[in-house]
Amino acid sequence: MQTTKAVLTFLLALCVQMGFAQSRTVKGTIKGPGGEPIPGASVIEKGTKNGTASNAAGAFSISVSGSDAVLLISSLGFETQERQVGSNTTIDVYMKESQEALDEVVVTGQGVGVSRKRISTTVSSINSKELKNSPAMQLDQLIQSKLPNAQIKLSSGQPGTASIIRSRGPVSANTNTTPVIMVDGIRVDNLNSNASLGLNTGGAQSSAVADIPMEDIDRIEYIPGGAATTLYGADAANGVLQIFTKRGKAGKASVYFESQVGQMVGTADFLRWDQTADIIFQPGMVQNYRLGFSGGSEAFNYSFSGSLYQDDGFNSVNEQVRRNFRTTVAARVSNRLRYSASLAYSNSEFTRDYNANTSFARFGNLEGGSYGNLDSLSDQEITDLTNQLQEEGELTNITERVNRFNVSNNFTYDVNDKVFVSFDFGLDSRNSKQQELGTNAVQISKGAWAEGTTDQGYIDVSSRNFLVLSSNLNVNYEENWGDFNFLTTVGGQVFRSNDYQTLINATGVPDGSESINNSADQSVQDFYNTVTSYGIYVAENVGWKDKIFLDLGLRFDGNTAFGEEIGLIPLIKVGASYVISDEKFFKDNISKDYITLMKFRANYGEATLFPTPFANDLTFAANPYNGLQSFAFSNPGNPDLQSEIAKTTEFGVDLGLFKRLTLSFTYYSTVTEGALFTPPQAPSTGQAAQETNVGEISNTGYEIALSASIISNEKHRLNGRVSYNYNENEVVSTGGAPEFAVGGFTFLGSFVNAGQPLGYLRGAQVVQDANGNYEVNRNAYLGTTFSPTFGTFGIDYTWNNKLSVFLNGDYQFGGQGVNVDDVLRYFGGVNDEDRFPQAVLDAGITSFFDLAGYWVEDANYVKVRTIGAEYNFGSLLDTRIKNLRLGFTVQNAFNWVSSSFDPDVTGSGISTQGGFAGGGFGFGTESAPRIYLGTLRVNL
Amino acid sequence: MKKIISKISILAASALVIAGCEAIDPTNVVNPNLSEEALIGQPNSAEAWYWGMERQLAVTANNNLIISEIVSDNYVNTQTFFNQFLDGLNVDYQDDDIDDSQFHIARLREMAIFGLEEILPNDPNATDVQRSEFLFFRGLSHLLAGMYYQQLPGSAAGPVLSRDAHLDAAIQYFTESNDVNANVGSLIGIARAQYFKGDAVAAISAADAAITADAGGGFVRYITFDPQNSRGNSNSNNYTVNSLQDALYDRGSFDDLQPLPSLDFLDPKFVVVSGNEDSQIPLLKIEEAHLIKAEAQQSQGGDGDAINTLTDLIGLVATRPTISVDDGAEDRTEREPGSRPDSTDITVDGMAGLVLYRGGGPVTIPSVSGTSYTAADLAGLSGDALLDAIYRIRQQVFMGEGMRSVDMGITYVVSQNEQLLNTANVSADMTVPDLPPFLVSIKDDIDAITYDEVARTCTIDNDITAIIVSQKATDYVCPFH
Repeated sequence: MQTTKAVLTFLLALCVQMGFAQSRTVKGTIKGPGGEPIPGASVIEKGTKNGTASNAAGAFSISVSGSDAVLLISSLGFETQERQVGSNTTIDVYMKESQEALDEVVVTGQGVGVSRKRISTTVSSINSKELKNSPAMQLDQLIQSKLPNAQIKLSSGQPGTASIIRSRGPVSANTNTTPVIMVDGIRVDNLNSNASLGLNTGGAQSSAVADIPMEDIDRIEYIPGGAATTLYGADAANGVLQIFTKRGKAGKASVYFESQVGQMVGTADFLRWDQTADIIFQPGMVQNYRLGFSGGSEAFNYSFSGSLYQDDGFNSVNEQVRRNFRTTVAARVSNRLRYSASLAYSNSEFTRDYNANTSFARFGNLEGGSYGNLDSLSDQEITDLTNQLQEEGELTNITERVNRFNVSNNFTYDVNDKVFVSFDFGLDSRNSKQQELGTNAVQISKGAWAEGTTDQGYIDVSSRNFLVLSSNLNVNYEENWGDFNFLTTVGGQVFRSNDYQTLINATGVPDGSESINNSADQSVQDFYNTVTSYGIYVAENVGWKDKIFLDLGLRFDGNTAFGEEIGLIPLIKVGASYVISDEKFFKDNISKDYITLMKFRANYGEATLFPTPFANDLTFAANPYNGLQSFAFSNPGNPDLQSEIAKTTEFGVDLGLFKRLTLSFTYYSTVTEGALFTPPQAPSTGQAAQETNVGEISNTGYEIALSASIISNEKHRLNGRVSYNYNENEVVSTGGAPEFAVGGFTFLGSFVNAGQPLGYLRGAQVVQDANGNYEVNRNAYLGTTFSPTFGTFGIDYTWNNKLSVFLNGDYQFGGQGVNVDDVLRYFGGVNDEDRFPQAVLDAGITSFFDLAGYWVEDANYVKVRTIGAEYNFGSLLDTRIKNLRLGFTVQNAFNWVSSSFDPDVTGSGISTQGGFAGGGFGFGTESAPRIYLGTLRVNL
Repeated sequence: MKKIISKISILAASALVIAGCEAIDPTNVVNPNLSEEALIGQPNSAEAWYWGMERQLAVTANNNLIISEIVSDNYVNTQTFFNQFLDGLNVDYQDDDIDDSQFHIARLREMAIFGLEEILPNDPNATDVQRSEFLFFRGLSHLLAGMYYQQLPGSAAGPVLSRDAHLDAAIQYFTESNDVNANVGSLIGIARAQYFKGDAVAAISAADAAITADAGGGFVRYITFDPQNSRGNSNSNNYTVNSLQDALYDRGSFDDLQPLPSLDFLDPKFVVVSGNEDSQIPLLKIEEAHLIKAEAQQSQGGDGDAINTLTDLIGLVATRPTISVDDGAEDRTEREPGSRPDSTDITVDGMAGLVLYRGGGPVTIPSVSGTSYTAADLAGLSGDALLDAIYRIRQQVFMGEGMRSVDMGITYVVSQNEQLLNTANVSADMTVPDLPPFLVSIKDDIDAITYDEVARTCTIDNDITAIIVSQKATDYVCPFH
């Protein structure tokens, strides 16, 4: 300790000595393109080691050698700026966002943070500015239309419902396309569908993604599945989405307050009848208040952010409250050991209406024609219906409450200049409770029972306790040898998830009771699911002259869900990248004015999705049966069960053009080998279907992302981005298994069969034979719900660093969906006009099974998800207010669709826990509401 | 500083250990479900396996009764939920419901075999009654296969057996069941198998044996459901709600079957008993022995004997219980009120009294057997007229019990999944239906009606019973002819 003090004193003295030698002091503020202060930016006197960093307010002060000095100002995500000091004593710098971002450090998928140029795979990220522009309250909404290579579709406008998140197409028939989600290196619950014992109130799928704590997100990285995710092994074949939270900065504490107030209205764009909106939509207030502060010193910093959100929904049933906070701390424990931690809590409570696949659904019944053609109802009939449905709404009582803790810890120990050890551990604990009070009154109001019924009341309660513990330890070693640079990472990961669910059904509940104790009978069932996944890996990234990089990885993966015959699975990745634009010959021949960057990359890698826990075991069931124990066959068992392995080959090029454009192109080809299918056994065996590694699925396609700095000067800045993705998906083989369903309905379902896209729409199709006679071609291919073409776009304009206007959206083309609402309308005799050729009906083809193909429509769309404007008033009241911003956004602003239903929503098509999610069955549920939101943000 | 580092190290190590106890040791993962060892050899496992078979019977019934009722003229499917192909007599080997039907028939058999071969021999407390029951279920599986299918594998991924081979197997196992422990159910099962085989002599003998054995004279063996403990959706192997009751009575989701107006007074036969109890459905009942006997007598020229037997039957039916049910919520259609006969003043094919009015409080419905026939109606009937009466009574007595489609000569086919996964035994021709041409010609109108709401008259467009009788000489119907 004495030695340390002596060294510090010496260094301090040296600094003071040097300070006396300086002749000038320059002060200034570093701001982002929107005028926001940039803390932690590096300010260095060019050609020296003299430097400092901006404080929390973006301010800096540096002593320089003289007027010839040049300041180099740099910050992650921005272009490095140079400023001649000259005679200035104050230099304010507006940073420009980097168009190349090659120096951006990427963490996800690499084991350790490495600069983007070293990586041979695709990585997308969303920075804090882009995140700030979106007032979304749940993660999937937040990232919707912001990632160039991912598509996010919200299955319903009801609160807390699931989404379909996909990038390179479905690689598995055994699960949905949701990526692994991590917060600060720790896995979190990413169940993006109803839990196994979740309540089925018609089709609304509750989602754990909807309540991931959203406070203080600094940055989001997303890597699509495949080559980039080898190091994650288990579960990573759908990619990894990682959230990085903000950390406090050294300097004076800063405080911010944000208030959002607005209105939520039901989206009427897709309604069959305008009256539906008149009858059950009603605008609701949205409010969100957020308070945060951060501060600290070089040795210790902290941040806190908390928020309270409430909305009244867009109808009389939905209401939602969310409470969130997050605390982070970071400490330099010694000059070798650093520690940081993040603790987040989220609580959400909401009420839901009956939806989709139940005759209790108010919206579904209106749009499904249960009340006939609403256009033909008289005003009085509309009023009566409104009152009737209002009463039904008032009696509806479906609630969900979620409490969630999210903890992450990171220790980093610098062994020496070349070696450091990083250790993360943490957990995500999510407890949810769904409750449906099916009173006699609500059932009578819906016509289920005769007036006066008193013994049919029920209460269903579903609880789920989910805990995932994860830890990750790695040792990183960096070495230079001549022109070579080596980044070596050796590490291991382990995670364990425990999922315990109960479902209680109480029957014969008298109205007025909300306790299952007050009932004629109760039954309960549980679901227990535990899995431990572990892996060790070594990764080597070799650089040559900082231009050519070799990216290698090897992982051995184990999992308790494997059959007893399976040990560790080896996974490899091999990749290379070449920044040719850094070559002398390139620079000599091609002007930087034309091509600023050219990087080629290629990679092969393997990632997996592990089997359903316990599907490997032969088990029997003891089922309750009228108070008696009753045994039965259960799972047949499979000792050879193991992960399905997605093997991806990708190559691409990154281009920087004209100092204004960046263009990224990636081609990929993924083959899922040993794909997990659960095909039926021969019916004569009487045995249930068994999960088994028999399939093969291929996904090929390309991803193009273009971003442009269209105008960039002190007064005006206009940036745009657009992406185009194409995916071709096919089940190569079912391994001899017969075609099987993974969603949808009997008349028209999502199926798995060789030669067809995964989950393709199968149903009857009416065709004409050679003589012109109509015949029904049963089990025909009717389309695919995963549109082959999709992409996102965005544009933002900033005027004078004060006013900014922005817009983002997404699109899809080439896919199909089913208008199930109109199938129901057909039964009420009020189906869409011209749905079927009259000649077909005249030919006696009238069964809705036979007509199924006519309800399949092209589901192309272009949707503007967010449009907004913000004015930055800058500092006010003698800088007592550092910054004040006023903004206005509209979410789900505009829709252009080719179908007569919303291609996003799906009343069916998302399987419960561990199942396939293809979506595409539009019916019975409302689209995401349109939200008008005003935002006031004050930084103190 | 070292102290701090070591403290931190200890903390980190502790954290790792805490995580490690749970997270690192993979052997710590325990499947909470029952292993084979936890079952076989355990005392009383045969008893629990027996109840498992009763429960499976409920699931098998759910997967056979509804489609049988839909494909027959008993019920029309007015909503989306249940099978639409079969309503139009499209028997398709790719139809999931046909696959499910044979799966659950096979599951009943495989459970019976596992019970006989693995459970019983290893249970120290096993009894002959249990052995008899397992044999009964094995026989029942073959009986159902022989009723509903032209041909079907008789063992797990095994050879395809003909209808008659299944019926013979049913007779064999029912006989063994009755030998181990006498039970009327097996005797009625034998009678039914002999009936469908067309052996009038053996059928009368078996029917008489059943009637004699039924000392109380009102034997019914029921299928018992358990809505309280039902799990999963209607496709689940654990769905133990009475789903036919859903279709007939409960106003649930898109599941509404409506009866032929001439059978209106028999619907809904199955209703909610209480919040946690559904109606039982008769599996085998002594009425069947009388009906088989009457038909056999009629086929042998004994019209008078047949009338006497039917008179006994009508007397028996009169003793069966009824239920009082408020059917106002379901009414006659959910989607199009007024499209079907719904009041007592409406005549069906000129006959009054067949349609009930459900809007004025509870109606009374037979819960085991009901018929509109009286002894007087039978007087003087002979030949085809008598046969006609027998089939109308059969239709009424077996309403909702999955018999009418078999009486109509409708059988299903080996499913596509069986074909693909049992290639050694299933040939393509086994997946092609062999349906009565006299029904195929009217396949879209099997349960069609013409209803004049103003004139208060309803006409059944196709009198299926009359067609059956007219086609008695074909192989499809009337096994004794």
